[in-house]
Amino acid sequence: MRFVIIGAGRVGIRTARVLEEEGHETTLVERDGDRIRRARADGFTVVRGDGSREEVLEEAGIEDADGLGALTADLNVNFTACMIGSHHGCRTVMRIDEEYREGIYRKYASEVDEVVHPEHLGAMAAKNALLGGSIRAIADVAGSLQVVELTITESAPVRGYTMGELELPADSRLLAFGKAGGELGLPTPDESISIGDRLVVLAEFPVLEDVRRLLVGETPARAMAGGGERR
Amino acid sequence: MITAYVMVKANSGDADRIRSAIEGVEGVESAHIVAGDVDFIAKVIVDTPAAVKDVTATRIQGLEGVADTRTYIAME
Repeated sequence: MRFVIIGAGRVGIRTARVLEEEGHETTLVERDGDRIRRARADGFTVVRGDGSREEVLEEAGIEDADGLGALTADLNVNFTACMIGSHHGCRTVMRIDEEYREGIYRKYASEVDEVVHPEHLGAMAAKNALLGGSIRAIADVAGSLQVVELTITESAPVRGYTMGELELPADSRLLAFGKAGGELGLPTPDESISIGDRLVVLAEFPVLEDVRRLLVGETPARAMAGGGERR
Repeated sequence: MITAYVMVKANSGDADRIRSAIEGVEGVESAHIVAGDVDFIAKVIVDTPAAVKDVTATRIQGLEGVADTRTYIAME
């Protein structure tokens, strides 16, 4: 597929790199001379100019692009680029700078198909690393709704029970189950729950801690210590 | 009569409630949720320059969820 990426900063360059690695074509749009030189030295195709101007995006090939990633640190540029991209039939992804804006753009910006907040994604990854692997946030579905993957530990209260016997707190749903080392699939009632098995659960924030206690069974501090011992 | 445009930055995603609260301030004619580095733009019409300051610095800035405002007074 073909993508136009606005901004050759840290987020834009890395996004272009992973897309190229997976065999896609990318064109970066950047107005800063130093960044253009660096990106070109690394082998990227770069168009010089302001990504909020239609003629610049046309030069970058917006007409036959499949998607546009507006990934600069400037919200005005990002939003305008998405408006132009949407007009040209592109899928549009807009980088935002503050977490509270995520909901506002999802609700009101019909020109923006998806919103990314790099700092928030980084924080989720750091939190997963700190918790030592027994609980991993997969996605924030809505303001107070999160999908998490939990790995059954030795101290998990539900260990030894079957899926049919599992009772999760209200405001949470089991989405998928995977035996240790196996792939995730839809849960069936006869499967037993043992160490290393993974459960994917959709839960409201207030009951996340109850879900964690039921499926992992440790305090956060002990979970971290346990993660340390395992390594 | 004095017309002013007030750029409002929020610190909460509760955009509908904040917009209604801004529109509820006396002197505010309209308020819109906007894309970009501010979250709302409000149009204020009042009698005196002092009233502009009262509407923006006191009333709008005092609303829950409002982080900052910047006011531009129309010259014509």
